[in-house]
Amino acid sequence: MPPEGIHALARSLGYYTTAQETMANNLANVSSEAFKAFRITARRDANSPFPVPVQELDLSQGALRQTGRPLDVALEGPGFLVVQTDRGERLFRGGGLQLDGVGRLTDRHGDPVLDAGGRIIALPPGEIAIRHDGTVLVDDAPVGQLRVVTAPADQLRKEGQGRYLALTPPTPVAEGATTVQEGMIEEANMDAVRGMMDLLLIQRAYSTNVEAMRTLDGVLGTVVGDVGRV
Amino acid sequence: MNPTLRTSASGMQAQQTMIDVIANNLANVNTTGFKRSRAAFEDVLYQTIQGPRIANASGGGAVEAIQIGKGTRLAAIPRIHSQGAAEGTGRSLDLAIDGEGFFQVERPDGTIAYTRDGSFGLSADGEIVTHGGYRVLPGITVPPESGTLTVASSGVITVQQGTAGESIEIGRVEIARFVNPSGLLNLGENLLAETEASGRPVTGFAQDAGFGRILQGTLEASNVEIVQEMVDMIAAQRAYEINARAMSAGEDMMRVTNEILR
Repeated sequence: MPPEGIHALARSLGYYTTAQETMANNLANVSSEAFKAFRITARRDANSPFPVPVQELDLSQGALRQTGRPLDVALEGPGFLVVQTDRGERLFRGGGLQLDGVGRLTDRHGDPVLDAGGRIIALPPGEIAIRHDGTVLVDDAPVGQLRVVTAPADQLRKEGQGRYLALTPPTPVAEGATTVQEGMIEEANMDAVRGMMDLLLIQRAYSTNVEAMRTLDGVLGTVVGDVGRV
Repeated sequence: MNPTLRTSASGMQAQQTMIDVIANNLANVNTTGFKRSRAAFEDVLYQTIQGPRIANASGGGAVEAIQIGKGTRLAAIPRIHSQGAAEGTGRSLDLAIDGEGFFQVERPDGTIAYTRDGSFGLSADGEIVTHGGYRVLPGITVPPESGTLTVASSGVITVQQGTAGESIEIGRVEIARFVNPSGLLNLGENLLAETEASGRPVTGFAQDAGFGRILQGTLEASNVEIVQEMVDMIAAQRAYEINARAMSAGEDMMRVTNEILR
């Protein structure tokens, strides 16, 4: 029936709008450090004729890029570093770490990064190095080890600033699964070419749905206006 | 109003900033002691929309979430304090630091600024000053009618005096290092200032533990690599275009929507 069809098409337009919003955000963050893209797919539930958008966090590895800055830290492999914020612990994929005025290791926003025991890492002055296993060395003496944890993608909520809230308590990553890379930055895992393709498909599909809606509207118009007229 | 237009605009702005930073790096490819910067971006707020409920076997269910991001923003423009190449000049008052440390200079207002640019000269009074005329700490005066001036790698300055060519020590250049040199504030004129982020300066002498050595007759070249900057510029330009395309796709969807009603 045309009215039902129009409802279905309206839901469909809503789906493509969400998809376009998600894609626009992915593309806007193509230069954001360690950004993880959202992928949108449609699912049709058995009891509903409408497609519903399903968003999946794509945790695939981004390309690593050398910066030469010693405190730029990237993770190779699954997992996250942990930062202590005002609102509790948050996960992040590394990036430009720094030292605050009193020598604590913090993220870019000045919130302390935690070690394997959940403690803040304070560094005495000296030459800083970070080993692949996350051990932080000052003048070759270990002062702590970065905590690297993991959580399932569907239990993570983005909070901006590259941070994630874990809905279930994160667990330590398997030994050797993840290496900490010093002097590197992880790039966004957003493939620009694929992004453009998706964008084009979304735009065309949206137009097609609008066109279908107009056709159905025309049918309704005929039914209302012309049928029964002699 | 379709919010994606603003999302895409933030992406375009980010790439514009990227180009600005690259342009400044490239403009300073020949600036003594210059340290390149790199724009770092991060995602911003997410609007979380409750998704559909997925029923599981026990009758309960989890709620999926859809998170709509609102674009990107500049997180920081960290300076990269990697060593620049040493360029020999042969001038006796051209100094470079190989390793950690900054020369300290006194500005006219009495505050101390820090620099890696060691192209020094002498003031009318014989004091060692930067080419901007600021006194180099701890303040070293070269006596008149001195002969050859020598700066040792430890920073000790000696001059030859008299016809016998006797060497006398006239001072030692003091240098400073920071816990977080990326946190120093750019003042222009190749000068940097201490901030809360950089931490307090630790002063000492060249070749002390943790400090670099001083090279005489040498200047530290800019650490900008032209090829790297060019590659980054191309990437930024393409990313700008992609965001412009995303914006036009969003705009097109709005236009099409307006055509539903005839």
